[in-house]
Amino acid sequence: MENPLNAMPGAAFEIEAEATPPPAVVAPEHKDVRTGRSPGQVAWDRLKKDKVAIVCAVIILFFILVAIFAPLLTALQGTDPTTGLPASPDRTNTDLVDIDGNPLVGMSPHHWLGVEPRLGRDLFARWAYGARPSLIIGFVAAAASTIIGVTLGLLGGYVGGAVDRVISWVVDFFLSLPLLLLVLAIVPIVQLRIAGGNDLTAEELSTIRFWVIIAVLVAFGWMGLARLVRGEVKSLREREFVQAARAIGVPTHQVLFKEVLPNLVGPIIVSASIAVPAYITFEATLSYLGAGLVEPTASWGRTISDAQNSFAIYPLWLWPSVIALSALVLALSLLGDSIRDAFDPTSRR
Amino acid sequence: MTQQQIDQQTGDEGTDRTGAAAVPQTAPETSRKSGQETGQPLLKVTDLQRYFPFREVQGLKMVRATVKAVDGISFTVRQGQTLGLVGESGCGKSTTSRLITRLDTPTAGTIEFQGRDITHLKESELREIRRDVQMIFQDPYSSLNPRHTVGTILSTPLKVHGLHQGKEKARVQELLELVGLNPEHINRYPSEFSGGQRQRIGIARALAVEPKLIIADEPVSALDVSIQAQVMNLLAKLRDELDLAFIFVAHDLGVVRHFCDQVAVMYLGKIVEYGDKKKIYEAPEHPYTQALLSAAPDINVARGIAPKERIRLVGDVPSPIDPPSGCRFRTRCWKAQDICAQQEPPLLSAQADESLRGKREGGLHLQACHFPEVKTDLVAEVESA
Repeated sequence: MENPLNAMPGAAFEIEAEATPPPAVVAPEHKDVRTGRSPGQVAWDRLKKDKVAIVCAVIILFFILVAIFAPLLTALQGTDPTTGLPASPDRTNTDLVDIDGNPLVGMSPHHWLGVEPRLGRDLFARWAYGARPSLIIGFVAAAASTIIGVTLGLLGGYVGGAVDRVISWVVDFFLSLPLLLLVLAIVPIVQLRIAGGNDLTAEELSTIRFWVIIAVLVAFGWMGLARLVRGEVKSLREREFVQAARAIGVPTHQVLFKEVLPNLVGPIIVSASIAVPAYITFEATLSYLGAGLVEPTASWGRTISDAQNSFAIYPLWLWPSVIALSALVLALSLLGDSIRDAFDPTSRR
Repeated sequence: MTQQQIDQQTGDEGTDRTGAAAVPQTAPETSRKSGQETGQPLLKVTDLQRYFPFREVQGLKMVRATVKAVDGISFTVRQGQTLGLVGESGCGKSTTSRLITRLDTPTAGTIEFQGRDITHLKESELREIRRDVQMIFQDPYSSLNPRHTVGTILSTPLKVHGLHQGKEKARVQELLELVGLNPEHINRYPSEFSGGQRQRIGIARALAVEPKLIIADEPVSALDVSIQAQVMNLLAKLRDELDLAFIFVAHDLGVVRHFCDQVAVMYLGKIVEYGDKKKIYEAPEHPYTQALLSAAPDINVARGIAPKERIRLVGDVPSPIDPPSGCRFRTRCWKAQDICAQQEPPLLSAQADESLRGKREGGLHLQACHFPEVKTDLVAEVESA
């Protein structure tokens, strides 16, 4: 390679600092000069070294696998010798309970957690299937509210003016509503609006209720992120790199999505990861209070509600759901904390 | 040549040497006129105003007021010329640069670029102007998107304007060499560079679209003094090689003296003195300019020559919400008399006829003071003796 100094046209520029020899390279040394790591990659690397995050991820993965393979796990229990039928979360087996509703079967090879008092449904199947609504509601509601929150936050923060005022007003309005009270009242009303008049089976009603709950959770869950994103965008748009992009002539939508949004990835991921356990808890709370999922959908919250009065007599009815719910929510919350730490440069250990 | 040698030569603050890549920048770009157009000014700013209205709640009353950030300033910049805008913080320097780049829209007045009025162009119509007028920002830590690699940052202007299609990477590397950085560092993130290197990236970004006018908003004030010199030398070199016009915003009088052809001194949104560098520095007529110059550190003190008496200004800069009547500097001026409060002094030449508007022998020199300190050569000599 030719020495660039020989071909240098501006050699006459030698004042003050030029007289001193060039100092050694100050830039951080890398094995390869061509590599560079984005802030996202740095966060990911930090997360991979976080033991708590790994344990939590394993726990969450376990429950996701349970939810996905619930039919398979249930089938592993084989055929019940009394009824001659395979275990199922929905089918009631009056043969397995006595006249007072007390289960005749405890922990056994064909019913790992025994059967439900009164209805005789297989408790392990209900536990495994119960992971589904919790996880689906948690992740779907978190994803939907994140999309809505980010969109409205970006819009309000960047456009400003009347748009911003309207969005801020709506955010304030929704935040001022008494959430639990309203949800308890709204869920049955919305369900009636959708399903009213039609002759629907219990399964169909249960499915409608499931999506109504997600919709209601999203409707009341997007404001926090919208506010956060709006504030961040408002500060980012005054940063000089956004001004520079405008001075170059970059179109507005490109400024928003290529310059501003990448800088919000951290707060958005953190917010979403904290929202998932919050939604799961809220769904369980609603189910426990009777405004959530309805029979026959298996739900941990409902099971806890049903089992709480007889937990001393039938501990296997109550505890699996309590433990699973607690472990899942705790793991998601701790993982959310770890993600936040990984994205927050001041928490570097 | 080993990688380490390249690093040492082009990687860091060590040098302004840019290598052979400086030459292709001047390669002919078909439709763009180059060369001196001495007849018509590149940029003409006339009576530029920018008022920021705001509302404030005082008790139960809503008070409406305006901050007069820039209040009627005029100047021209010609091809290859450099105008320095100096003044204290809050005098409207940065607002002026934002107005010229049309990141902000003026309240009144006109901005003409190459004879075309760009004052009220829409964003879509501004695209051509954006190619010709670029900006270098003050804070190298905030002016580069931390989420993009250097390659992305420098190829964005190329993509937006459809330049060097298909050969963007080569052009980006050329730009990096032009500003004295290692072209191998194309995939690095801004956080992996020092302040001086980041500012070089900012300069490369401004140069990517081959502009004619660059507005540099305090480009070195955030850098160490030793790095400042290197970046200033780089800017001077690029200016001469690429025949760029500059508007150089600064509060460092030494840097402006080193770099600019003409100087405009601003105070509270107005230009109080405007003229050729030599005139402003050697024969300042406005009291504010004199005070500014006397406040600048003097090398003669270090050389053992007794310093001149320093002018100490009393009080703070008045609020631009409610500037003083008449001359805005009168509240801090030791020469102020009744007329200063009643009449606003126009920006005129102190010595020549008004009709000549300062186009006297010896260059441009305008000032806005009722009692300018006009030095004839004789008087100046007597005083300095």
